[in-house]
Parts: sequence; structure tokens; C-alpha cells
Amino acid sequence: MANLSVNLCGVSLKNPVIAASGTFGFGREFNELYDIGTIGGVSTKGMTLQPRLGNPVPRIAESRGVILNAVGLQNPGVEHFIAEDLAWLKSTGTCVIANVAGQTLEDYQAICARLDGLVDMIELNISCPNVKSGGMAFGIKPETVEAVTVQAKKGLKKTPLIVKLSPNVENIAVNARAAENGGADCVSLVNTFTGMAIDIEKRRPIIANNTGGVSGAGIKPIAVRMVYEVANAVKIPVIGMGGITCAEDAIEFLMAGATAVQVGTANFTDPYAMPKIISGLNAWCDSHGVASVAELVGTLQMNGK
Amino acid sequence: MKDYQATVVKNEEIARGICEITFRLQETAKVRPGQFGAISVGGVHLLRRPIAVCKAEGNEVTFCYQIKGDGTKKLKNVGAGSVLNVLMPLGNGFFVEENEKKVALVGGGVGIFPLVSVVRAYANEKEISSFIGFRNAGAVCALEEFEKSAKFVAVTDDGSFGEKMNSVQAFEKALAEGYRPDVILSCGPTPMLRALKAVAVRENIPCYVSLEERMGCGIGACLVCVCNLTNGARARVCKDGPVFNANEVNL
Repeated sequence: MANLSVNLCGVSLKNPVIAASGTFGFGREFNELYDIGTIGGVSTKGMTLQPRLGNPVPRIAESRGVILNAVGLQNPGVEHFIAEDLAWLKSTGTCVIANVAGQTLEDYQAICARLDGLVDMIELNISCPNVKSGGMAFGIKPETVEAVTVQAKKGLKKTPLIVKLSPNVENIAVNARAAENGGADCVSLVNTFTGMAIDIEKRRPIIANNTGGVSGAGIKPIAVRMVYEVANAVKIPVIGMGGITCAEDAIEFLMAGATAVQVGTANFTDPYAMPKIISGLNAWCDSHGVASVAELVGTLQMNGK
Repeated sequence: MKDYQATVVKNEEIARGICEITFRLQETAKVRPGQFGAISVGGVHLLRRPIAVCKAEGNEVTFCYQIKGDGTKKLKNVGAGSVLNVLMPLGNGFFVEENEKKVALVGGGVGIFPLVSVVRAYANEKEISSFIGFRNAGAVCALEEFEKSAKFVAVTDDGSFGEKMNSVQAFEKALAEGYRPDVILSCGPTPMLRALKAVAVRENIPCYVSLEERMGCGIGACLVCVCNLTNGARARVCKDGPVFNANEVNL
């Protein structure tokens, strides 16, 4: 039995496998299938100060090896989360990561201040490709990444801040450094890649929003490369994600430099994906003589070096 | 709700472009009429196919599906003995109240299949009248199931089988002849449901519709498959539905 626990900027996780925002709601539905207290953490559905209705349907499409989504941050608002879901989610024993978004810098500060001390970590969504204002608008240029991080940190006294990075940028390592300079305690990557899928009979995009965020197994090699670049560019911990389907995928991200991983689309393919990844991590460590999963982090040896 | 390792018993085309697949589960799944399963076709298809349960008998469960894209094409080629993951039962399903004795089923296209499960569940205790519509004679199937209804009318859009009309028109014709159900249960294309809702509102008959939408998780977590409610809110088709009171949903 390997030690699967990891430490993310002072927060202890029982294992490095976290549910990715937007694929897991606030955990209640998956808890009908298994005890979500057994997974390392849950990054909640992206929340805003006020409730949002999100985009029109269809909001999802499939392409080989990937999916596209454009939900558009539908959520019941942060107050609803605090009143209805927070206590329950904490009671499961999983690490509660509140994923938050805003339309203005002030929104980000206000929502962080509201959640400060109430949750284990806050993940700043500055990379949602599916809303017109806010979201990715802040996540493209390093200057705005730093500015929104600084502003969010003003709202925080207790809770560590994760900044979730967009891959739809010129140089993701530069943006990661901008988040670090702004005071981020951790970065997570990658959010989805902006894409399009077309219904050729209708000659129209399948998704009502026309474009959607691409995720799933097919994006994994790009995500691994970006996690490697970021892990080598910053001193703060990195959470890796993008197409993780099995324990071996998660190990790639750990070796590339991620301290923990998030699993999103795989939850749709197999609702038990995360418990399977956790037991697979344990089995792999045991069979490879690895006493603690944390030992794997950043152990990648590049060819020719 | 369980993710069953379901063994394919048979998988065959029952009408043009329509297949029926029967799985054997490890146990008897408690399925309400109108509930659905999320079938994994595997490989490059990361999303499951949400398909209504047509029949559930003992450890066997049957789904009917239209071959529409890559995923359903792949499903069509799955042979007996293969094992697929099927997450089920999902959604709320149809409920018939104790005082609702006369039940009208109005279905169009692949929307007839969830109604088969209603006939099977309620034919003995309710007076069921089924109005089902197909595109043409080549698409006609499942008649033997609807024949268990007290009254049964099948029509086609082009008149190649039965009268040339759609299922809503067939239902309206019965209404004109004096038929009046206590409740209407329906599934079919959105324009059909919209027309039926107008009739139900006009006649002041309770009407429940089963909706279809592209889904992500299938269990209510991802907020992909929403529909608009008349009160301005959005509901999840997979978890809050797929069956909604027609008066409460915008079609």
C-alpha cells in the first residue's frame, strides 16, 4: 500500500486525484455511485457572484478521442453553494476547491473574499473559452493574468489560490509566471482548447455557441508538454490535467512535474474513472517499489540530457 | 443507478435504420417506464449514448436506437456475447397517477420506444390508447408492443402505412370522435411535442413529454443537457427529466 497523499501549498490531499471543474457539479450526483470522500479533491462547478443560466443547447459535441463543450458557466451563484452544498461537500472529507469566475476584476476579488476561509482552496477560472466577457478575457495576456491574480489575492487572507491557465495562449509558461508573480499559490492547467465541430448535413457548428472547449483523451500529449513547461518555469506547485483516463496517464503528469492531477472528461466515459485511477496509482507504485506517490513528481528525464 | 457490465444477447435491425439491442445484466434492474440508460460504445467515443429503455424483463433489458452517427454505427456492429458498460436506470420516467385511468400515448419516430415501456407497465391496469407515427412504411416497427393497448392507431407521414398524418393529428381525430384521456404521455421530435402541447392546453388535459438532448455525464452533474422551464429556470434533461409536465417546459 503506497502513500498516495500529497501536499498542495499547505493543504493535504489523501491522494493526488481531483475532480475537474464542470464535470462533477458539487459532487452529489457522483456520490450516488461511490463515496466521493475517497477522492483527493473536488473542484466545483465554476461559480459566479450571481446565478447564471449559461449558453443555449446543444452544449456538447463529440469528435474522435475528444469532446467539445460550451456550457457557459451555468451555476446557481456562490450564495446558493454556500447555503446548500458547502457543508455537505466538506462533510464527505474530500478537499473542497471552489472554482470561481467573474466578469470584472472586482468580481474576482469579491467572490474570493466571500469564500475565504470557507473552502480548502480556490481555483480562479480565467480560462473559460465559452463566455463572452470575463473568463478567458483575463487569461490570455500575461499582464491581465497577473492583474486578476493580484486582485483575487486581495480578497484572500486564509485560503490558498490556484490560478487555472488557458492553453489558448502564445506561451503558457509566461502566463504561469505571471500568475506566480501576482501571488498565486498554485497553478492548474490545462483548461480546454477552443475548437469547433460541424454538422455537415446542416452546414452549421453542432454546438449552439459555435465553438466549444476541447477536452478528453486526445488532448493529453499537448497538456503533458504544457505541464512540463510550466513546472519548469515556476516554483509554486502545479496541478496537471488534460485527457487523463487511467492511472498511467496521471503518472505521466506527475513525472512531468504536477503535484496533483484533475480528471474531467473521463468521468463522462466512465463514472468510476477516478476511483479506478486512485487504485491504479496505488498498484503501479507498489509494483514499481515506489513508497510514496509524491516521489514521482518531476522525475522526468529528458532524452539527450 | 449502476454501471452494469451488460452482455449483448441480440442486436438487430428491426426497421430501416432502427436497431434493437438486448442486454443481459447480472441482476434485475428496477426500471420505471421512460427511464434511460447510458451505453458506452468505447474506443474514440468518449460520450455514452443515452437511449430510452424499451423493455425490461427479468435480467434482460432492451433498447431501440436509430443509426445516426459514428457511435450508433459502431453500436450496430456489436455482436451477441460482447460486453458493454450500461449506466442505468437514469432519469425520472413516466408516472401515471392512481386516478388517471385513460392514458393516451402519442409518439413519433424513435420517440415511440420509451412509450413501449409504458404499455408494458400499465396495459393491465389502465385503458391505454396509443397513437404512433412513422415517417413511412419502411420505418414501421414495434406494432406488436402497441397492440397490447386498448386502442391503437399507427400512421405515417406519407401514407405508405395507415393514414397519411402524424401522431398528433391521429390523436386529434380521436378527440373529435369523442375520446378524452385523463393524461397524455408523449415522446417524439420537438415540433411534434410543441403541436401536442397546444392540443393538450386547448383541451385542458394533463400532458407529459419526454425530451431528448445531447448529454455529457447523464447523471445531472455537468449541466450540458438543459431545457428551458416556463418559470425562467433551466432544468437538467438527464436528472430532472427526461419527462416533464408540458405546461412547465418551453418547447
